[in-house]
Amino acid sequence: MIEVVLNDRLGKKVRVKCNEDDTICDLKKLVAAQTGTRADKSRIQKWSNIYKDHITLKDYEIHDGMGLELYYN
Amino acid sequence: MANRTDPAAKSIRGTNPQNLVEKILRSKIYQNTYWKEQCFGLTAETLVDKAMELDHLGGTHGGNRKPTPFMCLVMKMLQIQPEKEIVIEFIKNDDYKYVRILGAFYLRLTGTDVDVYRYLEPLYNDYRKLRQKLPEGKFSLTHVDEVIDELLTKDYSCDIALPRIKKRWTLETLGSLEPRRSVLEDDFEEEEEKEENDQLDGLEDEAHEKQDYYRGRSPARERDRDRRRDRDRYRERDYDRDYDRDYDRERGRGRDRDRDRERDRDRDRDRDRDRDRDRDRYRLRDEKDYGRDRERDREWEGRERERRDRDRGRRRSHSRSRSRSRDRKDREGGEHRKRHARSSTSPRRRDGAEENGTREEPKKKKERKEKKEDGTDHPDPEIAEANRLRASLGLKPLK
Repeated sequence: MIEVVLNDRLGKKVRVKCNEDDTICDLKKLVAAQTGTRADKSRIQKWSNIYKDHITLKDYEIHDGMGLELYYN
Repeated sequence: MANRTDPAAKSIRGTNPQNLVEKILRSKIYQNTYWKEQCFGLTAETLVDKAMELDHLGGTHGGNRKPTPFMCLVMKMLQIQPEKEIVIEFIKNDDYKYVRILGAFYLRLTGTDVDVYRYLEPLYNDYRKLRQKLPEGKFSLTHVDEVIDELLTKDYSCDIALPRIKKRWTLETLGSLEPRRSVLEDDFEEEEEKEENDQLDGLEDEAHEKQDYYRGRSPARERDRDRRRDRDRYRERDYDRDYDRDYDRERGRGRDRDRDRERDRDRDRDRDRDRDRDRDRYRLRDEKDYGRDRERDREWEGRERERRDRDRGRRRSHSRSRSRSRDRKDREGGEHRKRHARSSTSPRRRDGAEENGTREEPKKKKERKEKKEDGTDHPDPEIAEANRLRASLGLKPLK
């Protein structure tokens, strides 16, 4: 179980607990549950790399405590 | 300049009509090449030409959320605000299905509640296929009536939040709308009558059972006799239901069949639940019937569901006291006898469940789809909370 920090630089910073083998899509759903935006409206990035929905966190090498950027579509 | 709404346009729902589309999506559409090249200076007539060239519908797709031409045209319609007659012409036209969907979508966004129901419901009869672009970028198959159903029942479609409209029954009670008449109504009524006849036969027999019970004859013999009677009767009912199912399949009335089966399933489930509560006491006496019942019952597909319900019921009855179940027996005199006719668990399985009740539970739960119990009984409350959320989203629990 890892904890990921999502920051949208507009005031929303959420910590989400998830498994390593969750996909980015699952992570978006968890974030949506916590922030109240829709899951398909959010976009998770790291610099300019937009993370794709079907790839797991483990494959993106997202570790415990790592920070990701949250943008909106 | 090209993105300003027509100054003569009315405001919709209190705001600039283009604001029906969210800011981010709106900016994406303005930056889109299709919008810039094709949608410049369109009028209602030229819009129709563009609409006829459409070959798929959808919202946005891809990593950077590129809008589809369908979206751009919807935006253009919001910008120029064609007359209601023109929109209705779009919907009524039969040749081009995407023009129809475009008109329907625009009406859903801008029309009044009554108009929406009045003009969109006839489109339920249109069964043509449509190509839909998914957010991943792939195409999927959908149908006109499915899209209309989405527009009328959901509040989000094609990446646009649809404005709230009143529910149909509200409008019916207000008198603005007639109750809905489906085209399949005549066929459906036939099926309903058949169902009612079957059900009536079942109910009559229950009444007889209750009388016998209270007359106070020897309960064991009474039960055996009734059990045999029930079994035959239920066998007939099963056959009727199977016959209906096949009959429907031939006629191809998919929707009715599912509706009927749903009703049957729900009815059975309720009956099962009542039955389960009293089962414990009759365990020994049932064992000799298991052999006979088991064969016949396995044929019917509904058994799986019953078994699941029974398992759930079995766990429930563990925790209840005997006195309580005895009271329940008096209340539901006839019910327990019905249960005998249909019980089909193997004796071995039942005894196993009695002995290691708790050990069996997690295994059985795993057989079904992911259940909340898998992780929400975690000692740490935070993790239990997180697991509950995950279960509601359909994810596995945290490791």
